[in-house]
Amino acid sequence: MIRLENIHKRFGELEVLKGIDCEVQQGEVVCLIGASGSGKSTLLRCVNGLETYEEGRLTIDGNLVDARSKDIRSLRTSVTMVFQRFNLFPHRTALENVTEGPIHVKGMARSEAIEMGHELLARMGLDAKAHTYPDSLSGGQQQRVAIARALAMQPRAILFDEPTSALDPELVGEVLEAMRGLADEGMTMLVVTHEMGFAREVSDRVLFMDQGRIVENGSAEQVLTNPQHERTQDFLRRVLER
Amino acid sequence: MNDFIEKSGDYLPILLNGVGITVSLTITALVIATLLGLVWALMRYSGIGPLVFISKTVVNTVRGIPILVQLFYIYFVLPEFGIDLSAFQAGAFGLGLAYSCYMAENFRAGLEAIDKGQIEAAHSIGMGWPLMMRRVILPQAVRTVLPPYGNTMIMLLKDTSQASVITVAELTMKGKLLAASTFDNMTVYTLVAVMYLVLSVPLLVLSGYLERRFGKK
Repeated sequence: MIRLENIHKRFGELEVLKGIDCEVQQGEVVCLIGASGSGKSTLLRCVNGLETYEEGRLTIDGNLVDARSKDIRSLRTSVTMVFQRFNLFPHRTALENVTEGPIHVKGMARSEAIEMGHELLARMGLDAKAHTYPDSLSGGQQQRVAIARALAMQPRAILFDEPTSALDPELVGEVLEAMRGLADEGMTMLVVTHEMGFAREVSDRVLFMDQGRIVENGSAEQVLTNPQHERTQDFLRRVLER
Repeated sequence: MNDFIEKSGDYLPILLNGVGITVSLTITALVIATLLGLVWALMRYSGIGPLVFISKTVVNTVRGIPILVQLFYIYFVLPEFGIDLSAFQAGAFGLGLAYSCYMAENFRAGLEAIDKGQIEAAHSIGMGWPLMMRRVILPQAVRTVLPPYGNTMIMLLKDTSQASVITVAELTMKGKLLAASTFDNMTVYTLVAVMYLVLSVPLLVLSGYLERRFGKK
C-alpha cells in the first residue's frame, strides 16, 4: 500500500536518500534499522509529506504523496505518524489530544469522538489519565497517548519515528507492548527503531539502511541473524555489543 | 493640604474630561495595534517570501521613526495626499500603527518559541495552516506573549500623551492648558500623574487576569 520508487532527497549539497525502492504491504510490519544519519527518519518523513523529495515516486494506495499538494492533508489522515519526542499538544489533556483530530479535522461529532477517545486510551491502559495534561504524564504514558492520537484518525497505516529513543529504559517496554498489540491486530506499520528485539519478534520484514540506500531487505530472521552485507554485519555487531 | 483639595475640586472636571479621551484613545489604538500586530506577526511566521518581506519592511521602518514624528506626519502631511483625519483619528491610527510593530515583535517571539514538533504533530493528523494556528499554535503562543503584552499596554497608555502635540485634548494636554492658565503647576501635574497611575491599574488587573486565564491550560 505504501510504495517508494527511486526516491532521492537532498539537503543542499548533501544527498540523504540515494534512490530508495521499497514497498509496504497492507497489514505488514516493517522495521527500518541503520546507523544515525543513514536516512531512516528522512525516509519516514517523506512518506508523511513532512519532507519533500526531489526525484522518484512515492504513493499510498496509488495516490501520489506530494508535500506541496492540497491532497497531502487527507493522505496524512490515512497514514499518520508517531514521533520520537511524542509532540503531544501540551495545552490539551490526554483525551483532548486524542479527540483533536477526529473532531476538528474529520468533523466527527464531539460525543462520538469522546467515546472513541476513551476507548483508545483504555486500549493503551491510560483511561484513568484521560483528563491529565501531558506534562504530568511519564514519557511512556505520553508516547502511548500519542499512539492513541494516531489511532484516532483511523489510519490505514502508522509511521513510527524512533518511538522509544527518548524514553528512560524502564519505560521502553510499555510502549513496545502497545505497538506489539497494534501489530497483532493487523495494523500496517513502518517503524524506525533501534530496538532489535522488537524488530526480531514483531516485524514481518526488516530493512537496513546505510548512507541513503537500502542495503538489506528481508525477513527479520534473515537480516538480523544472517546479514549478507558487510555494513549490516558491522552495524549489528556494534548494536548488539552495547 | 486643604488648599490642594479645594483646588483639585476645581480642576478635576476639566482633567476628567481629558481622562475620557485618553481612555478612548488608548482602547482604539490598542485594538488597532493588536490586530495589525497579529497580521505582521502571522505574515512573518508564514514563511511566504513576499509576505515576510512586507512584514519586515513595515515593522523595521515604523519602529525606526519616533512616534512624535509619525503623528506629525499623519496629521500634517497626509492631508496633502487627500487623507484628512481628525486629531483623534490621526492619534489613534498613529499610535496603533507604531505599537502594532512592538506588538508584532512580541507575538513573533511567542510564535517562534513553540517547538517545531507541534507543527509536525498538527500536520501529521491532517491539519491545514489555519486550523493549526487556531487550535495548536496560537493558544500556546498566547501564554508566552501575555506578560510582554501587558507591559506594552501600559506603555501605550502613557504614550497617548504624545498625541497632545497634534491637538488631541487628552489628559496631558488638558493639564498643560490648566497649568498655563492657573500657574498652579504642582497641583495640576500631581493630579495628572496620579490619574495616569490610576488608569494603569485596570490594565494591570486585566493582564493579570488574562495571564491566569490562559496561563493555566
